[in-house]
Amino acid sequence: MNEYSKRVNKSAGQTVRRFGLSMAAAFALCATVTHGQGLLLDRPVRPAMKPAAVEYLYPAQIALPAGKPTTVALHFRIAPGRHINSHTPSEEGLIPTVFSIPDGSGVRLDGAIYPPGKQFTLPVDPTTQLSVYTDEFIVRARIVASAGNHLVEARLRYQACDTNSCSPPRTITATIDVTGN
Amino acid sequence: MKRNALVFIAVLLFLAFFAWAGWANLNHRSQAARCLLASTAPRGLGSANGGAARYVSPLQGKPAPAFTLEDLSGKKVSLADYKGKALVLNFWATWCAPCRIETPWLIDLRNRYAAQGFEVLAISADDLDRRNPTRLSSEKRQIARFVQQMQMPYPVLIDADSISKPYGGLDALPTSFFVDRKGTIVAAQLGLTSKAEIEANIRKALGANQ
Repeated sequence: MNEYSKRVNKSAGQTVRRFGLSMAAAFALCATVTHGQGLLLDRPVRPAMKPAAVEYLYPAQIALPAGKPTTVALHFRIAPGRHINSHTPSEEGLIPTVFSIPDGSGVRLDGAIYPPGKQFTLPVDPTTQLSVYTDEFIVRARIVASAGNHLVEARLRYQACDTNSCSPPRTITATIDVTGN
Repeated sequence: MKRNALVFIAVLLFLAFFAWAGWANLNHRSQAARCLLASTAPRGLGSANGGAARYVSPLQGKPAPAFTLEDLSGKKVSLADYKGKALVLNFWATWCAPCRIETPWLIDLRNRYAAQGFEVLAISADDLDRRNPTRLSSEKRQIARFVQQMQMPYPVLIDADSISKPYGGLDALPTSFFVDRKGTIVAAQLGLTSKAEIEANIRKALGANQ
């Protein structure tokens, strides 16, 4: 074997060794990741908490005359298949939907007009009539803003159910940028 | 040449390992997905005739988590007090419309099976503000009014929130666990099902189906 052949063989051997080492490293890495995933999946799988049944849609920004009571229409959406009690539930003890604005936010809630509830019966018991909101609904809030910009974190408290079960009462935040001119 | 062949075999082995690891991972993920589906699917719940999907609680087949809660009079009541009895642990709330439908069924079934060593423990999930005695008193009165209206003849305990974790979170009501005489959870129901299905599970807890 001449010098050139020896050099070629040596170079090929080094390439093969490097390739082998790279493969071993890649294998070790993948095996570790795979094992890690397995460990993660071995943890007990807990049912996810139900997401909020209601979301605030719009408006995100409101401009109104400062100090003057103004009615704004606030749009909310309820998750498909679920309903919430109206502001005036049909039975005592059921939790009404209530909109509020925290004190000290620069905007005062002077009053709110809620839509009438829709009549709803549970399939198991058609005799019980409930007053609920489904799909989308609008709360007409009469608000008074002081002059300036206010990032208001308004709240909507509701209690949601589907046809078989109910979730505990929940309060969502509707963030609205209110400008009093 | 011999060395190259060895390296080639080693590479093949590596690739085989990759394929195996991928297959094992996929298998594991499918298993976890099935597990997740089993634990979340029942939220849609069954039809009135009990023919739809059933709730498979991870607690099924396990001992009912121990607890001590107060009843409306402030008396401490423990799960251990009912050792040897078949039980329904019924989590409910005054604001839960399906619970109002289910309660008369439970009363009727309790009265029918009480002689065989069966009891219902109704555990209220109504909010309790323990920092505000006036509000707490009002909240207890509201629960008591419901109990009186419904004429619930079985023990009514309060503060389900304090034991919600070991019972799986209780993010939907009504939820019931059927416990046999040995203290093992033999069935669970999430949401309103049917009186027939509740009765079948009570019989299971009593060991009447064996």
